[in-house]
Amino acid sequence: MRALVSSSALLFAMHVPRLLRARRTLIVLILALGPAVIAWLASHLAKSPSPGELASNAGWLLILQVVVPLTGLVLGSAAVAEEVDDRTLTYLFTRPMPRAALLLGRFAAIAVVLTAILLIGVALFLLAASRARGEGEPLVAGIARPLLCATLLGGVVYAALAAALGAFVKHPMIVGLGYAFAIEGFLANLPGRNQLLTVQHHLRSWVAASGEPAWGRVESFQASGLLEGSTALVVLASITIGALVLGSWRLSRREFVMAA
Amino acid sequence: MTHAVVAQDLGRWYGDVVGVSDISLELEGGVVGLLGANGAGKSTFLKLLVGELRPSRGSIRVLGEEPFANARLYRQLGFSPQQDALWSDLTARETLEFLLRVGGFARKVAVERAERALARVKLTDAADRRVGGFSKGMRQRVRIAQAIAHDPAFVVLDEPLNGLDPLARRDTLQLFRELGESGTHVLVSSHVLHEVEELTRTVLLLHRGRVLAQGPASEIRALLDRRPRRVAIRAREPRKLARALLSLDGVTSVRVGNDGELDVETSRLDELQARLPQIAAEERAGVRGFTVADASLDSLFDDLVGGAR
Repeated sequence: MRALVSSSALLFAMHVPRLLRARRTLIVLILALGPAVIAWLASHLAKSPSPGELASNAGWLLILQVVVPLTGLVLGSAAVAEEVDDRTLTYLFTRPMPRAALLLGRFAAIAVVLTAILLIGVALFLLAASRARGEGEPLVAGIARPLLCATLLGGVVYAALAAALGAFVKHPMIVGLGYAFAIEGFLANLPGRNQLLTVQHHLRSWVAASGEPAWGRVESFQASGLLEGSTALVVLASITIGALVLGSWRLSRREFVMAA
Repeated sequence: MTHAVVAQDLGRWYGDVVGVSDISLELEGGVVGLLGANGAGKSTFLKLLVGELRPSRGSIRVLGEEPFANARLYRQLGFSPQQDALWSDLTARETLEFLLRVGGFARKVAVERAERALARVKLTDAADRRVGGFSKGMRQRVRIAQAIAHDPAFVVLDEPLNGLDPLARRDTLQLFRELGESGTHVLVSSHVLHEVEELTRTVLLLHRGRVLAQGPASEIRALLDRRPRRVAIRAREPRKLARALLSLDGVTSVRVGNDGELDVETSRLDELQARLPQIAAEERAGVRGFTVADASLDSLFDDLVGGAR
């Protein structure tokens, strides 16, 4: 266990600065800033909506359903796959370290960088939304706080799923995007228990559970039977931990064939 | 005594493609050359040996351990892979220090060992440059440095001389000899016989995934020298030269091509090379060119296993 922690910490420390220089991170930053740009344009060009409407509508439909899965998958899928693609995995896997440290250390680095990026993106989005000129719902803490928390948590969950996928499949980003936007996008928006199979459903439940009327209004667009906030939170945490445990287990047993 | 490597009926294939097959051997240690043409299965064998791959059949033990994901073995093993891959955004020093630390060394020790390993491969001056800006030969030396930095008992090097200039090649061969003399087991793969000959007398010869021969390099060399060889000679007077060459010991046939080039087959290449200048002068043949046809391992393998195809 001590070796796992120390090796993970080393990989974390190595990977954070590399992530900050990576092109992939720049792409994620641009994606995360997208909603802020749209909110800024809407605030300046449209007479409606109100700040509260803009934040809740765009936050629900754009940030939670598009930006969060996309950024989480783009960064998370690099955790294992990048070392395989770069063929540097050999150096790590012929060292006396637990193989799981690769997944855990790099995931931790990704989670930190992704959280920082999403934090900036949502903060700028809320700032831009607060300038909206429409009358009606104000942008209150009951809208901002759940959106911010769900965004950060959702990013980590999707990143964990994508990172773990890298231990199973060769192209985790393609598989992850296929899941998030084809399968999950379909299941999460159909009424019924199939929604329970999606990360989206639990994220929405957690946001709506804040009790803010704006979220109740947005949620009613979609035919969903939401869960209790605490239940949703436990499931999301379980998905994250489960994905990492499963990915670590697979990584410690799988062989990777590296071309010369 | 524990053998450095013991393989029993070892086989590994990728789908329908055979990487290695039916390999049973025991390697005592010391410096051993793993010789084989491209595609012979050298890299597959080495990947099985360092636990990057699992056998499809049979077993392999290295220093008494099963290699796949074996942390205990990796403390004693250094591996330089064939693939030209390193973290291009790290410096040579950062690369080594990181790998040493992942290998369990404290920061201070890792710094010292990295410095020493970089000095051994003569990269001290470039230690703080990013590996991405290195030449192929420099990257090769970083790979070798990371394989020896932790003073392993067994160093496995897959085509470590590829990309090195003659000077670096000489220094690197010397480094491997020093490792061997210090008691480290060294297994070096190559497809060039004379490289291996310069390094060791013990050779393991692979061909099409199987062990073709195991033993002294001199025996492999003797096989190479004894087999018939083809030589192309360009001369001003090819017919006069052809008549004279037929009297030479070992020459079995001489053909004169339409372009006047002689195609000579001999089992005594050394004799032909020694006598040709004198014969050419006596016959006033005006020799303009002398080319030994393919002397690579491929042709040797073709000769050795020709009948088995």
